[in-house]
Amino acid sequence: MKVLILLLCAVLAQAKTVLVVTADAPDFVLAAGGTIASMAASGDRVVLVRVTNDDKDSWNLSAEETASRVKEEVERAAKVLGIAQVHSLGYRAGELGGVSPTEIRDRLLFYVRLVKPDVMLIPNPYAEYVEVLDRHYTGMAAEEARRIAALENHQPPFAQAGLATHVVKELYYYAQPFDPRRREAESTATFAPQPKVVDIASSLEKKLRASQALTTVNYSMAMRIRKRLDESGRRLPLLDVVNEESVRKLVEINVRKLAEIAAKDSGYKLAEEFLYAGPDYQVPAKLR
Amino acid sequence: MRVLLLLCCAVAFGQKLPLATIPPGKVMMVIQPHHDDHTTDYGMGGLIAKITDAGYESWFVRSSNDEKDGAHGYPHNDMYNLRESEAGTKILGMKGVYSLNWRNDYMDAIPLQELRAQIILLIRKHKPDVVLGHDPWGHYDRNPDHRKVARALAEAVWMAGLANVHPEHLELGFEPHRVPHLFLKARVDYGRGHEANVAVELNESQVRRKEKAYVAHRNVYASPGMARSVKAQLQAEGLTVPEFAGKTDEEAAVMIEEWYMDWISRKRGAENGVKYAEVYWYRGEFDHLPGLTDYLKANVVTR
Repeated sequence: MKVLILLLCAVLAQAKTVLVVTADAPDFVLAAGGTIASMAASGDRVVLVRVTNDDKDSWNLSAEETASRVKEEVERAAKVLGIAQVHSLGYRAGELGGVSPTEIRDRLLFYVRLVKPDVMLIPNPYAEYVEVLDRHYTGMAAEEARRIAALENHQPPFAQAGLATHVVKELYYYAQPFDPRRREAESTATFAPQPKVVDIASSLEKKLRASQALTTVNYSMAMRIRKRLDESGRRLPLLDVVNEESVRKLVEINVRKLAEIAAKDSGYKLAEEFLYAGPDYQVPAKLR
Repeated sequence: MRVLLLLCCAVAFGQKLPLATIPPGKVMMVIQPHHDDHTTDYGMGGLIAKITDAGYESWFVRSSNDEKDGAHGYPHNDMYNLRESEAGTKILGMKGVYSLNWRNDYMDAIPLQELRAQIILLIRKHKPDVVLGHDPWGHYDRNPDHRKVARALAEAVWMAGLANVHPEHLELGFEPHRVPHLFLKARVDYGRGHEANVAVELNESQVRRKEKAYVAHRNVYASPGMARSVKAQLQAEGLTVPEFAGKTDEEAAVMIEEWYMDWISRKRGAENGVKYAEVYWYRGEFDHLPGLTDYLKANVVTR
């Protein structure tokens, strides 16, 4: 019993707090869901901040109904991954380009100082050919929020309300694999995040179930594929009937293939890929 | 020596891009910031000609009013450049030009979503199968209009497919329409960012039309002064160009611009194993779903 308690104490002592920032419902699950699930399973406390309300992407649903359903679905997906809390900022999807970047940054800053994460996972704003530009705007704001969280002259009222400055030690930039040069480090670890591949073989099932929980966007994806094929005189046998079963299968194919793409040339079978700014970032080991 | 051979091989073979085929379809839209962006030195006149040759109905959207481009003052530049844009696009076989008339070189300050809404409306009206535009990811683009229009376009091409985006458009009888095929262009010699992933082979006729469309923009290209300057520089070095004999400065300027278009088309062709080419970043109909593209390729069947 004593040994067990000691072991538990050791695990808790090493447990980290992780803050995940996402622009929209599917992105954090598809790009980083396996890694998040592994972190949570190892005892880390994970908190999610979702910037938009995902009100646009659905099939035959109003924006209001879409936003309402997706909120519940994200919370369900987060639970599957082991995420302890979800905070939704409620910006309208597809409209972050018209919002002040400083406003988004300072809302994220609030959560960085509130949650006090050791690790942050944010959308990579430099990933090219990501068509959802909300991810770019969110990534830019999150990157800045992480930096200024440590600086006392940013948002002094936060300090007066009890939110002290905070240094986030590790930063993961995530993105789905659109950028053809995503595995190239742009400079050394002192100056730029480095490519990092994470094995997700043990957490893939959770990632898959989390992804399948996003039924509104998944159904929309399936119907849009089918619509495009219908319009061009083609069909996908899997989607002859679009129902819960066929959509779940489509999502499974998608999630497994994404994990294989990320694992390519890594030695893993199923993975996720990141750019990682660890302890060496900005302060090389010899100076620390 | 072995290293040198390997390097030569890499240069000779490593850079070749796959040759793109023209996607099946009926309508193309070219959505660009400026009057001449459909046929500039790095652009796209050859591909436009090739797509119209394939039977497409094609439309050009000029987003700015081009008032700064030329030496005739703001309102006159706007009018000249619009007329020349119409002339150039006609040479390429396009059907018409929409001018959104945002103030040239001041587009950084305009509302992105307002511009995007205009583009979404035009996409829903014409339902293009193919859109050509400027690459928002290209680095070191000094032009604020390029950046703004590229970013608006990058979102408009997929957001036009979502009914909850500008649902008011549906009141006009328009339907949501996601653009299936996208060709984006930027300077390939400006550094990272724009990553051409296909080459488009051009035939002789398409290159000639690209040349003619380019020099149709006489308000900004093929000025006699440019030819005089080139001739003076050559003369200072004791050189002449026999083809200039008997030509006016304006005729010489046109020849120089046409050679320029020919040269860049041959250069891109030589880099990619064909006589003439242009290079683009291409996004196919399901490339936005990287986990499903292989599955769809393998399992989609004809009805």
